[in-house]
Amino acid sequence: MEAGFYFFEQIFNSAIFYFALVVMASYIFLCFFSALEMKAYMRKNSFIDYREILVSPFAPSVSILAPAYNEEATIVDNVKSIMSLHYSNFEIIIINDGSKDHSLEKLIHAYQLEKVDFCVNEQLNHQPIRGIYKSRNSSYAKLIVIDKENGGKSDALNAGINVSSKDLLLCIDVDCIVEQDALLKLVKPYLEEKKRVIATGGVVRIANSCEVEDGRLVKVHMPKNIISRFQVLEYIRAFLMGRMAWSRLNGLLIISGAMGLFDKEIVIKCGGYSHETVGEDMELVVRMRRYMHDHNLKYQVVYIPDPLCWTESPVDFKILGRQRNRWTRGTIETLWTHRDLFFNPKYSILGMLSYPYWLFFEWLAPILEGIGIITFILLASFGKINWEFSLILFTMVYTFSILLSTIAVLFEERSYHQYTSGKDVLKLLLLAFIEPVVYHPLTIYWSIKGNIDKFTGKKNWGTMTRAGFTSNQKNKLEPSSAQNLKTKQEQSA
Amino acid sequence: MLLSVSVGEYLKSLFFDRLPFFPDNIRISLFIIMFCLIATIEIYLYVFLKKAKNKRDNYLNANWKEKISNMLSNIIIYGDEDDGLENVVNHFLPRFKKLPLKRKRVRNILIEEIRIYHSNFTGFTADVLKELFIKLELHKYTLEKLKSNYWEIQIEGIREIAQFWLYEYDQLVFALTDHEHEIVRMEAQTAHVRLNRDNPFKFLDHMRGRILPWHQLILFEIITKAKYVKIPSFVKWLGSRNDSVVIFCLKLIGYYQQLDALAEIVKLLKHPQEEIRKMSVWVIGKMEAEFVEEELLKIYPKETQKVKLEILSALGKISSGNYLSFLKDCLLTPDFEIKMGATKAILGHGRKGKLMLQELQSVVSAKNSQIIAHVLDARI
Repeated sequence: MEAGFYFFEQIFNSAIFYFALVVMASYIFLCFFSALEMKAYMRKNSFIDYREILVSPFAPSVSILAPAYNEEATIVDNVKSIMSLHYSNFEIIIINDGSKDHSLEKLIHAYQLEKVDFCVNEQLNHQPIRGIYKSRNSSYAKLIVIDKENGGKSDALNAGINVSSKDLLLCIDVDCIVEQDALLKLVKPYLEEKKRVIATGGVVRIANSCEVEDGRLVKVHMPKNIISRFQVLEYIRAFLMGRMAWSRLNGLLIISGAMGLFDKEIVIKCGGYSHETVGEDMELVVRMRRYMHDHNLKYQVVYIPDPLCWTESPVDFKILGRQRNRWTRGTIETLWTHRDLFFNPKYSILGMLSYPYWLFFEWLAPILEGIGIITFILLASFGKINWEFSLILFTMVYTFSILLSTIAVLFEERSYHQYTSGKDVLKLLLLAFIEPVVYHPLTIYWSIKGNIDKFTGKKNWGTMTRAGFTSNQKNKLEPSSAQNLKTKQEQSA
Repeated sequence: MLLSVSVGEYLKSLFFDRLPFFPDNIRISLFIIMFCLIATIEIYLYVFLKKAKNKRDNYLNANWKEKISNMLSNIIIYGDEDDGLENVVNHFLPRFKKLPLKRKRVRNILIEEIRIYHSNFTGFTADVLKELFIKLELHKYTLEKLKSNYWEIQIEGIREIAQFWLYEYDQLVFALTDHEHEIVRMEAQTAHVRLNRDNPFKFLDHMRGRILPWHQLILFEIITKAKYVKIPSFVKWLGSRNDSVVIFCLKLIGYYQQLDALAEIVKLLKHPQEEIRKMSVWVIGKMEAEFVEEELLKIYPKETQKVKLEILSALGKISSGNYLSFLKDCLLTPDFEIKMGATKAILGHGRKGKLMLQELQSVVSAKNSQIIAHVLDARI
């Protein structure tokens, strides 16, 4: 018995320890590649004049697709903000996904819309369209509004793709604040990469506590809410370190659902957004990549480090938990759907590196961490813990987490430097000390909960409560201003 | 105090005395802890020192920028054309010479400010600024930049030469049009187009690699917006082995409506590259070359979807009316995009096309009728 216990302890200790080492080494590699990619990008684009794209007749045409569900509080201002994007050749398609409020009526009234006989090219499946609206005012000629039965985000985007008449698709969340030159920057990789670019994404940042004026972000502040602050650090780490590195390796598996630019031809050939997953953004990118491999077409998925999109983050643990739960389920669904990619040399980086990385480090790592914590408690209760060694191991993980977050802040400082005040930077750096012991265990819990929900058959999107923001006057985006709270609830069809 | 002494003692024994006796994983962990702590402290120091340095740099730069900007504003305000270029420059020159131009910071700010002012003015003021730039011998630094090992500095040099129209250094710029770095190549080519009055497109003869769409876009803007560029007949590059050169020249032929190129463009309709065929059809449509319609119809059945759609669009632009029945027949195909393209092409025929669509609307299938309604709706 004692020998068996010893054997188990040795194996368990070694396996977990070396797994942790591999995870940490992978993060160091990602930091390295990300630094290379960011440096190359900043060098290359430091003297670019994006106005050349703005005025060129040869700039690619873009359809902006923005699904909306119960957005009456902000929809008119959001559309106004999208219409003011700096680009010439684009159309805006707002998809009212069966809202139960007065989103559609507000749009009709604000933009002088009327129903038109729009003939839709039904290439992708979606819930029935009730009507398509265009403005009788030529100032709003770029705007198309689709009113359809509720079917969820993927369904709405598929309807938008069918209506789209342009070459590229910019899929955004309607309540995000998009930087005015976002399209110019996102389009550029399509013009300059030697391989065919099938998707580009930009960095998504947290807009809580930032100053917003007429649907535009005018001043960046560190969120006052601690939960949002944790997410600021998390987003900087994920976007500036993770995704930039994967972009360098051409191994990106996800373009954020908040904003991504896609090659329409490939999206349609792949069958559009899947209705079968709550992680439709990741699933689409994986499917597009697969398609390119299956047809022996050279391609690239590009991420750019510019902060192009600002989103409001959840401000309480309950809502944040739901969001993370959904992300976990989306990851599992995508990984399961494309399980044949696992170490499949036919798919090169995708099969040999990206997929295994996501499987082991994004999906499995939180589960192992959870198991580790439970085992630790059990061993402690049996008096089988060497407390000194445990403290050393814990300190190793803790100091490594702090180092990673500190590197992320360094990247932010060396690149776009959004938080100009020294106080804000200090806050971020100090947050790095608290995050591993306060926020990280929660993300583990939500991830494990997501796994349980997935395997017990939960399928819905969950409820997202957001504050939204009013326009026409300068205001700070504060979730505490509860007078315009709105509730979003999307259910998969 | 006691606690810190005991922690210190403990760490000393941990890292120095007991380290060799620990198991491997604990030794590795201790090493990682040390590494992380040192790296974190270094990054902290770097972030805050860099922040302090940036603050100081910004302060100094702002001061110099304000001073130099005021000096340049004086030229613009008080520099009278009646006094003559030489007199005006000689009047202001001594003040500029007093600037510590050996200091890189001051020199760079001065060059940048003159460049910005020069790009915002034309005529006498621009000439004064250029003369000032030369008399201060700042162009020598520009020429040094061309020889730099860093491509971004070379680009700065190229841009300064182009900005100040330093024609005498065009050959140096031309040498860079074949540079191994594609961005330097692109900048040199755009500068060469501005600087060379006799043969600005010479670089197309020896183009290294593909002209990326981004590069084409920039070149196109420079060429079509520049006032004094001698526009050649681009037909001579349509036979280039470099497909991107052919596509780029087709765009320019379309823009400048070089009708003499049509015979060569018709030959390109048989080119193996789909993109070239598509662009050729686009140019034919843009030039409304009616006599090529028959050729377009001949290649239509065997063409790819993209080229077919371009042909339909071209027929709509040419709108001769000779092939309305062909366009009408396209409505019978099952392909939605072809139907839509053909319907739009019919509408492109003006009143005649509109009447035809209205007549067709009642006799065609429900789906086709919807397409016609869509195309006829001016709001869409």
